[in-house]
Amino acid sequence: MLNLGPIIFGFIIGFVVGFSIKDNVENEITFTKSSFMVMLIVAILVAWQLGPFPYYNDLPIATGFLSGAIGMMFGRFIVNT
Amino acid sequence: MSTILKIFVFPAVFITICLGILTILGGHITPGGGFQGGAMIAGGIILCVITYGVEKSPIQLSHSFISTIESIGALSYILIGLVGLFTTGFFLYNVGADFYHLIPNSMIVEMFHYPDVTNAGIVPYLNIFVGLKVFVGLSAIVIAFSQFKRSESAEED
Repeated sequence: MLNLGPIIFGFIIGFVVGFSIKDNVENEITFTKSSFMVMLIVAILVAWQLGPFPYYNDLPIATGFLSGAIGMMFGRFIVNT
Repeated sequence: MSTILKIFVFPAVFITICLGILTILGGHITPGGGFQGGAMIAGGIILCVITYGVEKSPIQLSHSFISTIESIGALSYILIGLVGLFTTGFFLYNVGADFYHLIPNSMIVEMFHYPDVTNAGIVPYLNIFVGLKVFVGLSAIVIAFSQFKRSESAEED
């Protein structure tokens, strides 16, 4: 059975944080969509290495970690366009 | 700060914030919880403020955002406690788990039951709201301190 708690609330917390990530024109370093995709791939690898919580055995990855990363992407690119 | 540091810091902050979210969500079964996870998220934002500066930081927290999240965190915590007070007579009673079988209506128990394999009840919700409150609170303190320093140096000039 899939544990929906960390998936839903990880996405919500990630969305709240990702909502405040903005493109800053004053900064000489800009993070493009491709750099965010690299960060997402690294987040998937880290979630795989972390593994599930002690009593969770639904998926072999840390679902809260990954849904938080996806929520941050969602807040950054869908809302802050 | 150097350009290498500016390139490296934001991806590291991204992973740090995700680890903070994981710490908040595992607070009921692993070491950690709302305060620790919120402090980790705030640590990421503080690292951005130190490296890029407040004006150039990729994570911009506005005053209205900080006050809204802080209010949501505090009020939701109180409201969850009041649910236990009104249904059982005990403030912050775990209505999602109902260990003492004080709630006759099972719909309330199902409504506040955290959807995972553990029978944690309202504890993960409290962790989440505390985490949101701590994340914006600690970030606001550091942002305010950095602004004070800047205004003092501007007055000296």
